[in-house]
Amino acid sequence: MRIFEKTNYDFLGKRKMFYLISLGIIVIGFVVLLTTKSIPLGIDFSGGTELQVQFEKDIDISVLRDAIDDQGFTGMEIKTMGSEKDILMRTPLQDEGSLVADKIIESIKSKIPDNKFQVLRSDKVGPKIGAELRRNAIFAILFSLVAILIYLSFRFQFIFAVASVIALFHDVMITIAIVAIANVVFPGLRVEFNQSMLAAFLTLVGFSSNDTVVVFDRIRENIKLFKNENILDVMNKSINATLSRTIITNGTVFVTVVVLFIFGGEVNRSFAFTFGIGILTGTYSSVFVASAIVVDWKHRALELLKDKASNRSKISTPKVKKVNA
Amino acid sequence: MKKNLSRIITTIVLIVLSIYFLYPTYKDYTLNKELSKLSGQDSLEFVDKNNQELISARDKRLKLGLDLKGGMYVVLDVDIVKLLQDMSRKKDEQLTGILAEVKEISKTSDELILETFKIKLKEKGQSLKNYYGEIRDSEADIEANLTKEIDNSLDRAVEIVRNRVDQYGVAEPQIQKIGNSRIIVELPGVSNPEEVRKLLEGTALLEFKLVYDPQKAVKVFEAINKVLVGDTSLTVDSLTSTKIPDDSLKTRNESLTSKDTTKNTSASNKDSLSKNKNTTSLNIKDSLKDKKIASNKDKKDKKDTSKNKNDTAKDSDTSLVETDTSEESDTSAAQLTEEEFKAKYPFFTLVQLNQEAGTADGYVKDSDKDKVQRILNNEDIKAIIPTDLVFAWSNKTFDAEGEKIHVLYTVKKDAEMTGKVVTDARSNIDPTNNTPIVSMEMDSEGSSDWARITGANINKRIAIVLDDVVYSAPVVRSKITGGNSQIEGMANVQEAKLLEIVLKAGALPAPVQIIEERSIGPSLGEDSIRSGILSSIASLVLIGLFMIYYYKFGGTVADVALIINMLFILGVMASLKATLTLPGIAGLILSIGMSVDTNVLIFERIREEIRSGKPLKTAIELGYKKAFSAIIDSHLTTIITAIILYQFGSGPIQGFAITLIFGLLANLFTAIVITHYVFDIMVEKGKNISFG
Repeated sequence: MRIFEKTNYDFLGKRKMFYLISLGIIVIGFVVLLTTKSIPLGIDFSGGTELQVQFEKDIDISVLRDAIDDQGFTGMEIKTMGSEKDILMRTPLQDEGSLVADKIIESIKSKIPDNKFQVLRSDKVGPKIGAELRRNAIFAILFSLVAILIYLSFRFQFIFAVASVIALFHDVMITIAIVAIANVVFPGLRVEFNQSMLAAFLTLVGFSSNDTVVVFDRIRENIKLFKNENILDVMNKSINATLSRTIITNGTVFVTVVVLFIFGGEVNRSFAFTFGIGILTGTYSSVFVASAIVVDWKHRALELLKDKASNRSKISTPKVKKVNA
Repeated sequence: MKKNLSRIITTIVLIVLSIYFLYPTYKDYTLNKELSKLSGQDSLEFVDKNNQELISARDKRLKLGLDLKGGMYVVLDVDIVKLLQDMSRKKDEQLTGILAEVKEISKTSDELILETFKIKLKEKGQSLKNYYGEIRDSEADIEANLTKEIDNSLDRAVEIVRNRVDQYGVAEPQIQKIGNSRIIVELPGVSNPEEVRKLLEGTALLEFKLVYDPQKAVKVFEAINKVLVGDTSLTVDSLTSTKIPDDSLKTRNESLTSKDTTKNTSASNKDSLSKNKNTTSLNIKDSLKDKKIASNKDKKDKKDTSKNKNDTAKDSDTSLVETDTSEESDTSAAQLTEEEFKAKYPFFTLVQLNQEAGTADGYVKDSDKDKVQRILNNEDIKAIIPTDLVFAWSNKTFDAEGEKIHVLYTVKKDAEMTGKVVTDARSNIDPTNNTPIVSMEMDSEGSSDWARITGANINKRIAIVLDDVVYSAPVVRSKITGGNSQIEGMANVQEAKLLEIVLKAGALPAPVQIIEERSIGPSLGEDSIRSGILSSIASLVLIGLFMIYYYKFGGTVADVALIINMLFILGVMASLKATLTLPGIAGLILSIGMSVDTNVLIFERIREEIRSGKPLKTAIELGYKKAFSAIIDSHLTTIITAIILYQFGSGPIQGFAITLIFGLLANLFTAIVITHYVFDIMVEKGKNISFG
């Protein structure tokens, strides 16, 4: 079986339109994010106390809230996870000695004695740790982008390195934007900024740079092979040549992630969702961001060259014009 | 062909190594599965019988992170504000007020607490001098001193935490010092936050307890033995070890002397000490330079005598300190075989005494420790132990015959005094003989008590006990007045340093507070690992089937490579004792993705070459060659990124990075060496390979 063999799509001809699409998604997503705060900071980054409990019988959230309010923990976030038995409770409070969780557990025990429960998970993160994790995460991602920039500029022309880092940055932004929108459209999704989201971002940066490098590798090869051809054509040719590989690889990994999303359990869900979005944007950005930027850059360089040449040609011979015909 | 041979050998060696490193994981899994089927007495017996195996499998298995198997993860911060409060000379309202402010600021600020404190003091027109140090000290000296104390407090806190966690009996606890005020504690399988909180945050208790009279203590040991022999349900007949390492049992005679005694007396003390050792104990291992071990007897001899002494002790109930070993008893001991000895003296098989040392310290092999603890906790046994006696374990172990040996002390239940009176402790090297010593100072109230206690117990031993664990049990050499004591006889500088830390815990408890706490219930851990693994396997199978369908034979080879790849990653992780966490699984998924990608890249190139009319052999050669640059670039980019993430990231990020690095390296190897080789060989044999 073969798919996408000998295709000849003009990927880069309409690149201006794709710039706009990307920009549009990012703008809309961040407007949504900033206005609705649709991606909550998990306690990993914000600090606070989080409790996940499982009751024996279905529980009414309002009953539970009354029980906890009695202890003075008003305004606590309480929600079900999957079923009416699994409850997630969260508060930005984190008392000294992490007593918040204990107090909550005690009050539920005394107020709702007929519905036993077990604590599946209890997390308490101090605000200092949260800030530190946040800072470390940002540093780690920024440093790795710089490292990619340096390595690729050794292996490719500098503009390729710059373009791929821009593409990676684009992927992170688009993914945040889409998650922000998705959280609003599908309230059941509840993806938040936490450690598994961070893992997803790291994975998608890795995967997306892989994809970009593969496309660029073919472009690098073809630029040598077809020295006399237009850069746009060479790049289109290269993208078409790697198309079947792109579809197969990214398709299989995407399927893996979909399986993880559906069957991987609550813990893996936000990871799978974020990474899934990342695979799509990563594939898209290799072509419509990274390659497109290279084309535009080369065109600009050519035009500059042309301008210079034509400036000069006014004085000397007007021969250069034919080169790019 | 030569190149191929080395490839085959490398591949096979690596596969065998991976299996070797992963076998304990499998063993651990099956053993625990069997164990979970049993209950009560059966499970205890099973543990006894397979103790060695269980321990070694557990030690070598692939470790799972807390997020996968449940447990508690706690980050502790040394409460420097409280420390500053404790250290201050006067504790007036202004200081309390300032410290409260500092605490509030420190909750969110990254500024050093001491700095914030200084600024706040200045705002109020105060200086460090008003609260700390001696009159003559300059502000800078005081600050340097406080900084040192703060640094030391972390070591102290780590030791206290380690001590308690060890006592709590958690398998594979992890205690890690991070930066200059933080401790990370990981307790797998623990799900009782309240208990752990108490355990970690409580104030440490340093006590000085008299060591129980050895003659009486030995009688207690005998009584326990009798109960064990009488009660069959308690016998321990399934001991796996056959050899008793009593010939290598070593004691150290640590002694407590007054610091201000003149050199002459201390020298004579030491003389008498070493003389003592030469006469009373043959097996003393000591670091004192001037000490000569008179171990002219051979191993067998010693073993026989000591066994024989146990023997006489049981038969005649005579005092054990009696040292004459007659020829007759020697032969009678020789007649008693190992098995008979075990049957007759089960307790002494587990807890060995070294009679010649004149002490009743029991020596217990690491693998027997749990068993002994169970015996001591038994209600029948408890009933016969005198009410003023308690058993206490040593904090450290020493090695003998390849096993760790714990010391079981018998001490008085009530402490002579607590460590609160200790004002300072310092480890040092005694310039006269170059041996490590620890000097300890007490306040005036403590000094007078100390003089009374030491005066009444000359030549007896006083145990230094922190949170019920004995750190040292020096012999009192003289009455110590003035509160300055000196402890000598430590094996090395590290040991002296540890004792200093412990003694200081009495003077200045290092208060800690929990700033991060995560507890994952075992069921959630199980759920996440089950669903995570099941879905990973499901998607692996899906990918595998697709590869075979799409690339035919090529796909099959790629699948095998993928499996070998996974084997390598997990094998390397097991051999390096790395921990597999949830982010780690994410790294694994990315590695799988890139492994698939690598093969796809190669196969697509080969297809291209075949399409352009090249013969199979050339097509494969060119395919690999042309795909190589893309593979190496994409892998190196990602590996570099992963290294950076490992360097700058915190815990979870590092877990991701480490699996990714191993994954990609394994990937490069399988793709470039293994699959390529398989195709080469097939082509050489004239087989037609289909790439779909």
